[in-house]
Amino acid sequence: MILTGKNAIITGAARGIGAATVEAFASEGANVWAFARTPNPAFEARCQSLADRYRVWIKPIYADLTNEAAVIAAIKQAMADKLPLDILVNDAGTMGEDTVFQLTPIDEMRRIFETNFFGTMFLTQLATRWMARKQRGAVVNIASVAGINGGSRLDYSASKAAMISATKTMARELAISGIRVNAVAPGYTDTDMTKGLGEKVEQSAIAQTLLRRKGQPEEVAAVAAFLASDRAAYVTAQVWSVDGGIL
Amino acid sequence: MTNQEKYLRAFMEALEVTAAEAPTLVYGESRAWDSVGHMTLVAALEDAFDVMMEMDDIIDLSSFEKGKEILRKYDVEI
Repeated sequence: MILTGKNAIITGAARGIGAATVEAFASEGANVWAFARTPNPAFEARCQSLADRYRVWIKPIYADLTNEAAVIAAIKQAMADKLPLDILVNDAGTMGEDTVFQLTPIDEMRRIFETNFFGTMFLTQLATRWMARKQRGAVVNIASVAGINGGSRLDYSASKAAMISATKTMARELAISGIRVNAVAPGYTDTDMTKGLGEKVEQSAIAQTLLRRKGQPEEVAAVAAFLASDRAAYVTAQVWSVDGGIL
Repeated sequence: MTNQEKYLRAFMEALEVTAAEAPTLVYGESRAWDSVGHMTLVAALEDAFDVMMEMDDIIDLSSFEKGKEILRKYDVEI
């Protein structure tokens, strides 16, 4: 197991890649503060079930990342356990309406950026200060290939591009505190978010991949776990695409 | 260890300065206390006194004496 004894915050933990990341981390021996936006009994039951199965602890913590006071309260709740924070996985994200750039209201772009970028940046500021106390840590940002290649929804792809750029700058600034920062850029992955995009978009996305299939959340989570682990101790400022091969 | 000792130690360890140098430092005016050293100092103070400083206070933290004043807001008497 590559994460034994590590303590991790994973955001967006209730669904999709975030949920898969919680399980991947637990299966590798990590304890998890599982951040989700909305209180959810099924999510809490899943956390307990995974914790029992893998003999770790997984604590649900609720926070809307667009609310700074809520983010502070959530971090304080985790810090109350008086444990070091070793890993932060920023997975929380949202996607706007299916429309073109010229028809996307600026307020809608702001809304997407509030969650996908600003909220995540604020949480990362707090979390990396916590990591800096021990002069070690790893941040894994879940970005998107849309942030590299551009995507059909400008607000989403631009917010992910911002995250990729932030990954590199954070890596540069936090290295001296022993904190590594990397990003994973998933391609078309089988989640609730992509289910809403429709069959035509899915077929088109699959056709662009060398492997001719969509990715699974677990395949993204496995790379996140590696980047968060000490096996990647000399890896920072990198963006690792998990996209089935798009050339 | 008293709060005063913990406070001085945080400065000494975070900024790699002596006990004599620490009280004279001003943010941005010495090589020891640059922006990188600043964040190391904030982490050290938060760890030493178990507080989470607000961003405005982090920005305001500009001298040894100012730090004492800021920590008072978090019920820490140096």
